[in-house]
Amino acid sequence: MSSLSAMYGIVARDLTRTTRQKGRLLGGIARSFMWLLLVGTGFNAIARVEGGVSYQSFVYPGIVVMAALFGAMLMAISTVYDREFGMLRLMLASPAGVPAVLAGRALAAAIVGLIQGAIVLVLAPLFVPVSPRSLAAALGALALGSIVSSGLGLLVAARLRSVENFAGVINMVLFPLLFVSGALYPTSGMPPALRLLARVNPVTYQVDLMRYAFGQPTEFGLTTDILVLTASALVLLGLAALLFDPEQRFIGRSRLPGSGLEPG
Amino acid sequence: MSGTRLAIETERLGRDYGSTRALDGLDLEVVPGALVGLLGPNGAGKTTAMLILATLLAPTRGSARIFGHDTTRERRAVRQRLGLVFQETSVDGLLTVSENLRFAARLAGLGGRAARQAVTEGMERTGLADHAATPAGQLSGGWRRLLDVTRASLHQPDLLILDEPTVGLDPEHRDRMWSLLESQRRSRGTTVLFSTHYLEEAEASDRVVLLSSGRVVANDMPAALRATVGLEVAEIEGPGAERLVKALRGLGAAASSVRTERGFRIGLTGSREAVVELAGSAPGIQRFALRPATLEDVYFALTQRPADEPDRVLALP
Repeated sequence: MSSLSAMYGIVARDLTRTTRQKGRLLGGIARSFMWLLLVGTGFNAIARVEGGVSYQSFVYPGIVVMAALFGAMLMAISTVYDREFGMLRLMLASPAGVPAVLAGRALAAAIVGLIQGAIVLVLAPLFVPVSPRSLAAALGALALGSIVSSGLGLLVAARLRSVENFAGVINMVLFPLLFVSGALYPTSGMPPALRLLARVNPVTYQVDLMRYAFGQPTEFGLTTDILVLTASALVLLGLAALLFDPEQRFIGRSRLPGSGLEPG
Repeated sequence: MSGTRLAIETERLGRDYGSTRALDGLDLEVVPGALVGLLGPNGAGKTTAMLILATLLAPTRGSARIFGHDTTRERRAVRQRLGLVFQETSVDGLLTVSENLRFAARLAGLGGRAARQAVTEGMERTGLADHAATPAGQLSGGWRRLLDVTRASLHQPDLLILDEPTVGLDPEHRDRMWSLLESQRRSRGTTVLFSTHYLEEAEASDRVVLLSSGRVVANDMPAALRATVGLEVAEIEGPGAERLVKALRGLGAAASSVRTERGFRIGLTGSREAVVELAGSAPGIQRFALRPATLEDVYFALTQRPADEPDRVLALP
């Protein structure tokens, strides 16, 4: 009971914060449209995708996944921010404890990812044939994918202490995840090493599932995608919980060079 | 269920950071409803002790119980009874005052109506109601800290742990803070453990625990601690101060003696007349003042480190 209430509090706070950071919110939406219009249009002219579809309709499911991936993963910055500025202690000292804190955080991040992905979905009729069923399936794929992405974000944030650090690390993680996922170009044309990487990249299965939702050819099929994504979500959140060190914030200060016996 | 249990009970509690002993051998017994001040220089172990009691740090040695619950094995039970105020204010600047409080209420496990009611009551108690819709980032430092304390006491905790709650506050907000805590104690019998560098704030405590280099150097009622320094304290400054101090010690009139930046503070054992007379005839005394002993005298007498500066402490009680 108290864990649920704590999770609700954490989700409500994170979503409220998100709506108050207008720049970040608009930036997130603009990013997807930028990719879709600039990159999509550019590559449309030179890329030929098997099956005769245009590059833009090929890349569209990938961009939807990307919007959710960025949205959900970047939410993890609030965990680092809270660690740096003391709000995390409040949550860790609550009766609910670490699991509820992480679950609340993951849920909030997944919701933000889902919303950012859904905003891109509005444009679907411009790029792919749609039906109510395909849109519903796409939303389902987004929801599952966003939970995985929020787990990825929390895993990155689990040990990072400063917001600057997070900003640096997250780009190193986000772009490889995106490029080696089949979102922007088919994995079938990749060298074997990259194909192997793509196979262990959970984003690959998010893209594959999204293609399935829009009736495009898939590499792994519905069942595999859902199983892999569900397992990934569990593993990632579990790893984040394991790596998450509740004492880090406090011990961290005492190890700063020259800080003597701090905290006093 | 906790009627006869101690609010705080620690046994040889200690914590190391690497090879540094931040806290060592803390034995503490606090009865429910008590106001306990934790004093000591920066780095003495105050925050470490509080974080262990708050279940946020695991002890390296010893054990701690809050209302009978072990702080490492029964964290949830301990946390349910705790309200915490950290050294740095834990307030989300992007949320409004009431949103911050609602967040805290939910974290504490209060749902729906109970949370709303606790938030409303909390804001009325503190006088924050006028600022309910103000983003916390726009509050003054004093109000932010009051919001922090309100936040910590929303769920009516049995024990409040406050790490330097009044640091940086102007006298008005400090006063407001203490009356808030006092009313909390009176109405609910809340136990309060706080740390502070403003020693006069600790004078009103039931008990003062003085830490130095991770160890307890004093643990008693303020009056008893002041008595160890002496009945009155003479502040003596000037080139002849050292000679006068030696004379006083020769007479057995000095219960304690501390060298400060400017001169000496001598705790007096007996009547002041003889001392005043002696000081009046002593050469080279620029300043001689008598005043009642304070916790600050206790602090200086007990936290100066003889090993570092052998001539600073002439005698310890």
